[in-house]
Amino acid sequence: MIEAKTFKEEILNLLDVLYDSQKDNLEAVAVAFKECIEKGGVIHVFGSGHSVGLGIDIKDRVGSLVPIHIMDMSDFVTKGGVPLEEFMDRKNIFERRPNVAGKLYELYETKPEDIFVVISNSGINGIVIDIASIAKNNGHKVVIITSMKHTLAEEPRHPSGKKLYEFGDIVIDNCGPHGDALIPTDGVAKVCSVSSICNNCIAQSVAARTIEMLIEDNYEPLPVLNGDEDHDSKIKELYKGRI
Amino acid sequence: MDIKKQYFDAVKKRIEEAYDLQAEKLKTVASMFGECMENGGVVQLVGYKHDEEFVNELNYRAGGIAPYHAIKLKDMMLKGLIKAEDIESGKVFEDYSLIDKIPQAYQLDSRDMYVIVDFYGNKPLFVELAKRMKEEGHKVIGVVNKKTYDEKGGTLLDYCDEYLDMCGDTKDVALDIDGIKVDQLSSTITNITAQELTAEVYSYYVSRGKEAPVLLSANIKGADIHNNSLTDPYERRVR
Repeated sequence: MIEAKTFKEEILNLLDVLYDSQKDNLEAVAVAFKECIEKGGVIHVFGSGHSVGLGIDIKDRVGSLVPIHIMDMSDFVTKGGVPLEEFMDRKNIFERRPNVAGKLYELYETKPEDIFVVISNSGINGIVIDIASIAKNNGHKVVIITSMKHTLAEEPRHPSGKKLYEFGDIVIDNCGPHGDALIPTDGVAKVCSVSSICNNCIAQSVAARTIEMLIEDNYEPLPVLNGDEDHDSKIKELYKGRI
Repeated sequence: MDIKKQYFDAVKKRIEEAYDLQAEKLKTVASMFGECMENGGVVQLVGYKHDEEFVNELNYRAGGIAPYHAIKLKDMMLKGLIKAEDIESGKVFEDYSLIDKIPQAYQLDSRDMYVIVDFYGNKPLFVELAKRMKEEGHKVIGVVNKKTYDEKGGTLLDYCDEYLDMCGDTKDVALDIDGIKVDQLSSTITNITAQELTAEVYSYYVSRGKEAPVLLSANIKGADIHNNSLTDPYERRVR
């Protein structure tokens, strides 16, 4: 019988696997974030579909890093001139398309020291692969968060024949299963997906380690929100137009 | 200890605490979802920003159940029903006229129920939406951070049939580094709650001798055909 407890036990085990197998990669990302921030850089975060959750989770909260910029898919419509009907076309799903991501990249101010974090569980769709490729070609460090089990089991949808992880300077495996859902059923589909949970833990643990290193380096002002309106608005002002 | 490990340990500890607190409630809410779906209803999910993480975790999700639908301010903005600056400024949360515009964006049904996610439980728009949906006879579930809700005097739950707790602390910070508060737990715990609900809703279908409409990841071969077969009968009511 599948119940809440079944999932609870499974996710507790998976989080152990995630930390144990990825701790060195998590540390490498935190070092990259720290170096980026100390050079005045910003961390651009891009995920489509359910992968947007990671960026949302680590931004604009008490205890969050400030220099985080979310590249928002809806900017294709609101700022990039893509018609809404085309963006929402269910027969030609937008996130799968190659050769459109450049429009999004060009909307934002970037500096050489900026880092790009690109998240996709499958790592096979056009837009995420193009964003990672464009960022890399522009000399940015690229961090990929993906499910290696999933991405290695599927064919890429990008004409290059490449998958997202191939563009990563650092690749974090979120350790989720092929198809994202964890618990087998009597039917064709498994239930209960894990990527959002694992991605949040990846992002939050990296953020904590980044802040810890910034404190060790006496980096001032520490770009972390503390809930004090004056403090927080002054820190945000330092990154105006970039986050 | 490695601070990254400290975060993982904090999450794991809170997962256990949240489960102990809400195991029975999860079954109650899952039965309400299951009954709604069994009667042809859709579970409408409402939340914004960090609260939208719970919405996304149930709506059109790999390994999730099909009859959910998200009511999103950003969709309504893209459809020209809300101004982007009103979302950013928070003005939108004071404007009850938005509730009358929701049917212009989505196909709603008298059989639907509503889940309203609001950390503080005090956004006027969401409290009013809960009130109206309750008055119209829909079941309403609230998802709030109960410690903060109590401290700030939220009112959302006045109009809810049941609620779930995000199980964050009052300030929702996870760790302390030399007096600096860092990281949060509530959204991750709420995501886990959503997946635990999925397990329970699946079991509800099985207990009724029915096949649960479980979606596949859209990024595996053949998934579109499977998923469309589950969502097409709802026409524009889901997705």
